[in-house]
Amino acid sequence: MLDGADDAAASGGLATGAPEGTSPLLALSGIAKEFPGVRALSGVDFDLRRGEVHAVCGENGAGKSTLMKIISGVQAPSAGRIVYKGVERRFASPLEAEAAGIAMIHQELNLVAHLTVAENIFLGREPRRGFLVDRRALRDGARACLDRLGAGIDPDTLVRDLSVAQCQLVEIAKALSLKAELLIMDEPTSSLTEQEARRLFQVIRDLKAAGAGIVYISHRLDEMREIVDRVTVLRDGRHVSTDAFAAVTLDAIVARMVGRALDEKFPERTSVPTGHVILEAAGLTRAGAFRDVSFTLRRGEILGFAGLMGAGRTEVARAIFGADPLEAGSLAIEGRSLTIRDPRDAIAAGIAYLSEDRKAQGLAVKMPVDANLTLANLGAVANRLGLIDAGRHAAAAQGFVDRLEIRTPSLGQPVRLLSGGNQQKIIIGKWLFRDAKVMLFDEPTRGIDVGAKLAIYTIMDRLAARGIGVVLISSELPEILGMTDRVAVFHRGRLVRILDTARTDQEEIMHYASGFGTA
Amino acid sequence: MSAGLNPPVTAARRRLSDRQKDLIQTFAALGSLVALVAAFSLTSGAFLSLGNGMSIGLQVTSIALLGIGATVVIIAGGIDLSVGSVLALAGVVAALCVKELGLPVPLAMLAGIGVGGVCGLVNGLVVTRLKLPPFIATLGMMLIARGLALQLTGARAVSGLGEAFGELGNGALLRLVRVGEDGFPEVLFPGIPYPVLLMAVIALAVAFGLRRSVLGRHVYAVGSNAEAARLSGVAVGRVVTLTYVLSGLLAGLTGCVLMSRLVTAQPNEGVMYELDAIASAVIGGTSLAGGVGTISGTVIGAFVIGILRNGLNMNGVSAFTQQIIIGLVILLTVWIDQLRNRR
Ligand SMILES: Nc1ncnc2c1ncn2[C@@H]1O[C@H](COP(=O)(O)OP(=O)(O)OP(=O)(O)O)[C@@H](O)[C@H]1O
Ligand SMILES: [Mg+2]
Repeated sequence: MLDGADDAAASGGLATGAPEGTSPLLALSGIAKEFPGVRALSGVDFDLRRGEVHAVCGENGAGKSTLMKIISGVQAPSAGRIVYKGVERRFASPLEAEAAGIAMIHQELNLVAHLTVAENIFLGREPRRGFLVDRRALRDGARACLDRLGAGIDPDTLVRDLSVAQCQLVEIAKALSLKAELLIMDEPTSSLTEQEARRLFQVIRDLKAAGAGIVYISHRLDEMREIVDRVTVLRDGRHVSTDAFAAVTLDAIVARMVGRALDEKFPERTSVPTGHVILEAAGLTRAGAFRDVSFTLRRGEILGFAGLMGAGRTEVARAIFGADPLEAGSLAIEGRSLTIRDPRDAIAAGIAYLSEDRKAQGLAVKMPVDANLTLANLGAVANRLGLIDAGRHAAAAQGFVDRLEIRTPSLGQPVRLLSGGNQQKIIIGKWLFRDAKVMLFDEPTRGIDVGAKLAIYTIMDRLAARGIGVVLISSELPEILGMTDRVAVFHRGRLVRILDTARTDQEEIMHYASGFGTA
Repeated sequence: MSAGLNPPVTAARRRLSDRQKDLIQTFAALGSLVALVAAFSLTSGAFLSLGNGMSIGLQVTSIALLGIGATVVIIAGGIDLSVGSVLALAGVVAALCVKELGLPVPLAMLAGIGVGGVCGLVNGLVVTRLKLPPFIATLGMMLIARGLALQLTGARAVSGLGEAFGELGNGALLRLVRVGEDGFPEVLFPGIPYPVLLMAVIALAVAFGLRRSVLGRHVYAVGSNAEAARLSGVAVGRVVTLTYVLSGLLAGLTGCVLMSRLVTAQPNEGVMYELDAIASAVIGGTSLAGGVGTISGTVIGAFVIGILRNGLNMNGVSAFTQQIIIGLVILLTVWIDQLRNRR
């Protein structure tokens, strides 16, 4: 089953002019793509039928996004054939592909921050009346798409005021508004909560029933059960297998992705929380975001923040880190109270925050891998005059590239050219280098493959074992349950309840997260 | 579709052309510089003489000094439109310090440079504290500094500054002069003009600082993604302010050099120089979007502009046509640069 290039499935559709019903919607053969110093894809075959959801799985950097960008005209293949609806095509731009009925939801968010949600959804295709934009049609059209996803987002909000999850919903709405026959979804659910994801699956089932073909990429393998018909695995830019989803197990898929069997999803916890309080937050408040949030974090503890979208978890973490102002409340580290005006104060006090939005807040994407890894702690590789020691700088960066298995052709590669998951690993590396006392991880495994997730969980556990206090903000409940000691559940800006992880379950967490039990 | 039938060949060919493209573009600015020199040497006999080399060097100095400041500001994500005016104000202040206050020349020039630095500081604070867009903040300073220079001098040139005032702009290191038999001095070696020396030292120092210092790294980080830099603990406001201060100081220095060359302070000196400065940075590969740029590129860019002007002059091309040509060169180089960044 682990066959190579001459996959049987791909051969069917190449005969041009075959009747529509039998030929696949899309057939790729021998697709290759080379970037300077990187062979992202070599000879990949792939096909998609009408009315099916075809999942593509693979590790970070396996070439999934690149393959999708080739289909949707964002990038040109170095070699290979693309047959769409029985005709050999090569789309020179995303616009051409869109005109042919192909839409793509990109892994990275690509919205214009200072336009409204509605304007973003119809960017470049605004409904018109004469020369003018028909504002009403614009708003109504946007609302229809958003309602379909159950996203309670006002079409007139500016995108810069949205959270990451809301941005992702807008991206999905935008793709839906294109009414495409072939829809590519590159990690659409990476920052959605389960409920939002479930709404999306319903939409996907509807589209499927209407005859659309959907390519689905996700590192949340569990959710595939809900929608996927066939699954293709890529490894190192090569096609490994294509099977009916019902015919394979998730474990088998993971084994093919990683090239070996992964027994555990979570590491054995070695750390034990001590009695020592390292961070104490009392009455944290900012109007419109969160109110009266109090909790303690102990040395060696992993504390989860659970809640629905917009519950205020990220806002609390950012305020503790000084990224946003705090209106009331007090913070103390190791018993000493702190005034934090900006992130520099927080970092000096030993707090680190790994932001959820890597492109906007986490990375200087034009800068190379090594410069990003050392950015938060340049002092450690510089001499007293403020000059960077090239040797120590490179050694430190290489250390994290090796330890986190960051896939990059060199330390000098600009970060924007790395795959999404590898970019995420760089943010983690940056803060590991800083050596903090309290680390706030905001959706740290977003877009990260199973193998790397395990590596990151292991790192978190080691950090806790070294006496660091860890906060894990996550929308994936299994992750919260698998990794934390206690869970703080948020609802609408309030910390509703702190639960003992060992004595709780998904139902109880969801119960409080949905607002039951609030006074 | 032969591409599909024969992938290995296409792939190989592609890789080669990719590498060639990179190579060509790395040396695009330098290459065009060499091409310019070659072309002008052929068309004009006097172009390749020591004397002309010297005058090109001097011309380029002011563009390069301002360009270095512009580069640092642009890398950090800003823009400085005020340098042309600031250099006039600085030169005028230096001259008035000598003439009206009777300060010694070095002190007067330091005062001039200091005034430039203060203008830069104001720019920086307006951008970081009042949060005005850099374009507006420095446009304001452009008008204010020019107005001040005109006001201080009553719009008249300040002359009669004495020989010492001309030393910085006209002197040279290692100048060898022999008094000939006829009693007239004979120049054996014209020496390295102080302005050129200053430019070289400053270019090396700033290039080193950008590449190797923590502060330099922070400049790139702020320009690449200010929010990410802030969340990594970079003092964004301070870094941005410093870039404007550096630009102001270099404008002040340029003002002193220019006025010293003429031994006269002209409040109308330096009009539109900010555009030359920005153009030299852009030709040298600095991206106006921030986060990208090098000093070596800017120095090459300054030479491209200086040599174009000089060579076209020697070939008797009118000033109007020169503008057109330089405009086209800017468009061409930036277009080539964009090509490199496409897929
Ligand atoms: N524009 C580019 N220039 C150079 N290398 C690139 C470029 N785009 C992608 N790559 C490289 O190609 C490889 C495949 O990247 P791709 O983004 O397709 O991975 P992916 O499977 O989507 O990974 P992830 O799960 O992390 O999103 C990676 O090694 C990446 O660094
Ligand atoms: Mg990807």
